[in-house]
Order: sequence, then C-alpha cells, then structure tokens
Amino acid sequence: MLDAQSYFDRVSGDLSGDATARAAALAAAEAAGLPTRRQEAWHYTDVTRLLGKRTDDTIGAVDFAPLNPLMAVFDNGALREAPVAEGLALHDFEAAPIGDNAMLNYNAALAQGGLNAEISGALAQPLIVTTQGDEPVHLHHKITLAPKAKAVLVDNHMSCGYTNARFDITLGADAELTLIRVQQAGHQIGTSQIELAENARVKSVALVTGGALARHEANVAFAAAGAHAELHSAVLGRGDNHADFTYVIDHQAAETSSNTTAYNVLDAASRGVFQGKVIVRKDAQHVDAQMQTRAMMLSEGAEMDAKPELEIYADDVVCAHGSAIGELDKDALFFLRARGLDEASAIYLLVAGFIEQVLSHIDDEVMADSLRALVAQKIAAQFSIEGAA
Amino acid sequence: MSALLNIDNLHAGIDGTPILNGLSLSIQPGEVHAIMGPNGSGKSTLSYVLSGKDGYEVSEGEMMFAGQSLADMAPEERAIAGLFLAFQYPLEIPGVTNMTFLKTSLNAILRGRGEDEMDAASFLRLAREKSRALGMNDEMLKRQLNVGFSGGEKKRNEILQMAMLEPKLAILDETDSGLDIDALKTVAEGVNALRAPDRGMLVITHYQRLLDFIKPDVVHVMAAGRIVKSGGPELALELEKSGYAEYVGETVNA
Repeated sequence: MLDAQSYFDRVSGDLSGDATARAAALAAAEAAGLPTRRQEAWHYTDVTRLLGKRTDDTIGAVDFAPLNPLMAVFDNGALREAPVAEGLALHDFEAAPIGDNAMLNYNAALAQGGLNAEISGALAQPLIVTTQGDEPVHLHHKITLAPKAKAVLVDNHMSCGYTNARFDITLGADAELTLIRVQQAGHQIGTSQIELAENARVKSVALVTGGALARHEANVAFAAAGAHAELHSAVLGRGDNHADFTYVIDHQAAETSSNTTAYNVLDAASRGVFQGKVIVRKDAQHVDAQMQTRAMMLSEGAEMDAKPELEIYADDVVCAHGSAIGELDKDALFFLRARGLDEASAIYLLVAGFIEQVLSHIDDEVMADSLRALVAQKIAAQFSIEGAA
Repeated sequence: MSALLNIDNLHAGIDGTPILNGLSLSIQPGEVHAIMGPNGSGKSTLSYVLSGKDGYEVSEGEMMFAGQSLADMAPEERAIAGLFLAFQYPLEIPGVTNMTFLKTSLNAILRGRGEDEMDAASFLRLAREKSRALGMNDEMLKRQLNVGFSGGEKKRNEILQMAMLEPKLAILDETDSGLDIDALKTVAEGVNALRAPDRGMLVITHYQRLLDFIKPDVVHVMAAGRIVKSGGPELALELEKSGYAEYVGETVNA
C-alpha cells in the first residue's frame, strides 16, 4: 500500500475499465498522499504508523446461517459467490470519478470490483457482503434502494490484510436499510457515502472487535424531509487495536433526524476514536440530532478520543451531544460478586452489558444473537473465562 | 447449637480510618436481629465488611459464619457459603436483563456448591413463581437490571434475589430507605415469607418503622462502631421515643 505506484503497475493489467482514468485517479491520490495527522479528520489516526503494525486478532466465524442470507463473498478482492434473489439486480462494476478524498482516489485507481446492487421492493433475506483473505484489497460497492425498498445489508469484514472499501449507498423515498458492520482484524479504511431521500431511514450498527486499524468513515446526507439515520457503534478493544468512527452527519433538509451512539470498551493499549460532526444547514428547521459517546476504560494504557461537533445554521432545532468516559464500575463489580459471580464472570457481564446497549438496536433477534455470540467469544478469550449466561 | 454468625471484637476500617471498634454479635439459626443506630455509627460498614467489599480492612477480631472464618474469603465465596447482602443502593447494570442476571447468579452459586446448574425451563418457572409472590410482573424480569426501576422496585428486586438464592444469613442494609409505606409492607412481607428455622437475618435500619413489619428477636443499638446495648423488640420502641442522643453522648464521654 505504501508504494502505491509500483503496486498499481503490477496489478493494473488485471483491473477492468478505463486504465487512463485509473492512472489519473492514482496520480491525484499520490499527489495528496496518505492522510496525515495534520489533517483534522485524521488527527487521532496515524495511518502510516498503523499500517506498519500487526495485531494477533483471530477471526471468529459469525454464524449467519440461521438467517438464510444472500451471500456475496469477496476472496482477496474477487467475487467468489454472487447472490441471486427476487428484487435484487446486480449491475456491472462502475468506476468512480476523481474527488478530493485521497482514500477514495486510491480506491478509484485500484478497485478490483465490488457489488453494484439495486434493490427494489422488500428483500426477504439479509444481504451479506463478506470480505476475506490476507492480500491488499480495494473494493467499491454501490447499493441502491428504490423508493419503498427495504433491506438488511451486512458488511462482514473478515480479512486480516489491508482493505480500502467504499460503499455508496442511496436510499429512495420511504426506503429502509439496516446496515450491520463487523470488523475483527486487519487494516481497513472504509468510507461510506449515504444519501437519504424523503422519509428514507437507515440504521447502522457497527461492531469492531479487533484490527490494527479500523477506520469507519460515514458521510450521511439528508436530502429531504422525514429522513432519519441511526449510527450505532461498539468497540471491543484489546492489545494494540485501533478503532476510529468518523462521521459527517449533514442535515441539508428540514424535518430530518439522527441518533448516534458510540460505545467503546478499551483494554491494554487499545485506542478508540470517535469524531462526529453534525451539520444543520440554514433552512433545515426542526432537525433533531442526538449524539452520545461512552467509553469503559479497562487499562491505564488504553486511550479514548471523543470529539463531537455541532455546526448549526438553523435556529429552530434540537441538537445535543454527550460524552462519558469511565472505568469499570467497582460498586457494580462488588454487587455481582456478592451474588456469587467470580471476578472474571462479573467483568464479563458488565462488558457484555455495555456492548449490548449497541447490539439491542438490531431489530432482528436472530441477527443480534449471531453478533452476541461473537462478542461473547471475544470477551471470554480476552479475560480467559468461559462465557457466562 | 452453634451460632450461624459469630462476630467477636471486630475492628475494621477503610483507608486507615477505624470505623468498627470492637464489635461483637452472635446470631443463632432462625433468629432475626436488628441493628439500629445513628448515621455514621458504622452500620453499613458492618454489612460491607461481612460481605467482603474491597477496601475494608479487618485489623482485629474475627467473623465466623457457619463454621468458616469470613476474613479471607472473596465476596463470591461468602455468597456461595450462604451469605446474602440486600443492598441499600442496588446497582443498575445496563444491557443485562434481570433474568440473565438472576440465572447467572443462581447458577454461579449452585456451581460453587458443587451442585448441578438449573436448566432454563426450571429456572424460568422458579423465577416467575418467586417474582409473582412479590407482586412483580414478568415484564420486570425482562427489563435491564434495576435500570429505570423505582426505589420500591429495586428493593423488591433485592428480595427476589434473596428468595431465589435462599441464603443461610441475609443482611438487609437499610432496606426501608426510600420506600413509601405500601412498598415497605410488600418488601417486609417478602422478607417475612423467608423467615425459617435454619435461616438468620440481620436487619440494619435507622428507623423503628421497618421493625413494625419485620419483628426482630433481638435489637442492638450501635454507636461509634460497636454494639452499646442489646435487648428485645421493646428496645426499638424505646429508641423511637427517646432517640439516639443517650448513646451518642455516652460514646463521646467514653
């Protein structure tokens, strides 16, 4: 990744589409270079340093089978399995234009493919996009929901290599999307552009249980009244894990609303970053935007950086943000031990309960249970205990 | 018959500050003892020292419970041995349902005693039966532990835990605080239902009111970290009339 030009020279022959456009995108990306901490949006995430780090995270298979899902599996960037379902149309890969975001320009230059899916109507099964392998991967997904369409999309990141993933998500009027994301290992810089038409609703629940670099950036644009977005994230950090959720939540239209929560449990030398910028444009009256960050620090070596930002140009809005960072509650720990739980089981219950506050936003209990099982497995391994309950 | 709990000349404190100064107390199986005393007399400290909260240090004396010395036991070992503390301020645990908590607790204790864990169906039946007896609906079992519970609901939930765990000795730390008269009656009924020939209770309270509903066998007055007077239920009524001034004064002069 660090030597993008020679990587490009090596792989460009295998890439589809307009080679000249790709070369131009690479030139634009290289001119800007990888983001550095001098850029405000990257102040807490030092990409170059983190790309040089390795973590010993294991990848636990999340059991999605009970959901009978539609699978799109990308194995080292190549689509191995393509979903077929009524109401789901797959189109050819489309190259992205050059923009002003270096990571997206690298993606435009190097994208090997991605899912270009159009969803009409209500998709009965969840659509799972799995990214696996250990090689550098650039993927550009485009997910379009027609008006009134309904879908559950899972971004299941199981790669232990480098991934630059772009998701362009567009919701038509009255469309509804549940977006589940999981990252367990590797280096990932993911950028999602989400556009919401009138009364469209997106609910995103993200879970990061590992990785030397997990950067999840989402830019949400509310184009018309009634659009609503929920962005919930949970981080279970151990070792040298680094998890960064950075959002720009842009209320361009009146009568739109957003609810953002970020829960981080940070052990050892792990680091959590949350940057949430809410913009309420001049004529966007009656916007309701809520943002909450919570962190449970299990070690003195762990670090949480929380930066909520409100940029409000309208005068009749309800916006609030809050942040609470604390240690494991000693009184709660004693309470549980006084009820017979040994210390490890008590910590397990407190940590699982903390993460549950994010997972409980998932409406489908079967889906929620598959993630709960992963969380249980990760916490149990971390504290060397058998999962209770 | 050997005592269920025998505390002898107990000295204990926190951060080097002595709070209990030579406290002695003995509870036989089947007995209900009440400890009354002014604020700051060390009542809650006694409950924490007995249940093993971190930070409290015993410098002298001993605590024997069912033939075992409590001093070196972890809080969970004391719970497994049959000691139960009903908290003055029950903790809220977000993200953990009351049901999950009760099940985890009961099974931890059964496991600790070398018994089989309870299967899901039997547990559910038991939890419903015990909670209904306390006037709690099934919905309260599904809610997050104590989150958004009223003061009365939290205290009732403590009694539910006690009913599920069936301890040998229950310590009720100011269980009456923050309760209106109806909630107090419900809680007291729950406690009375658990009185048994082989179970002891230590009821810690500031006010005599609770003892109208939970009739103690023995009443102790605690001041400045020790028991200064013991007697029958009439002692509580006496305190209600004359207050604690006599005992506080005595310790100041001592």
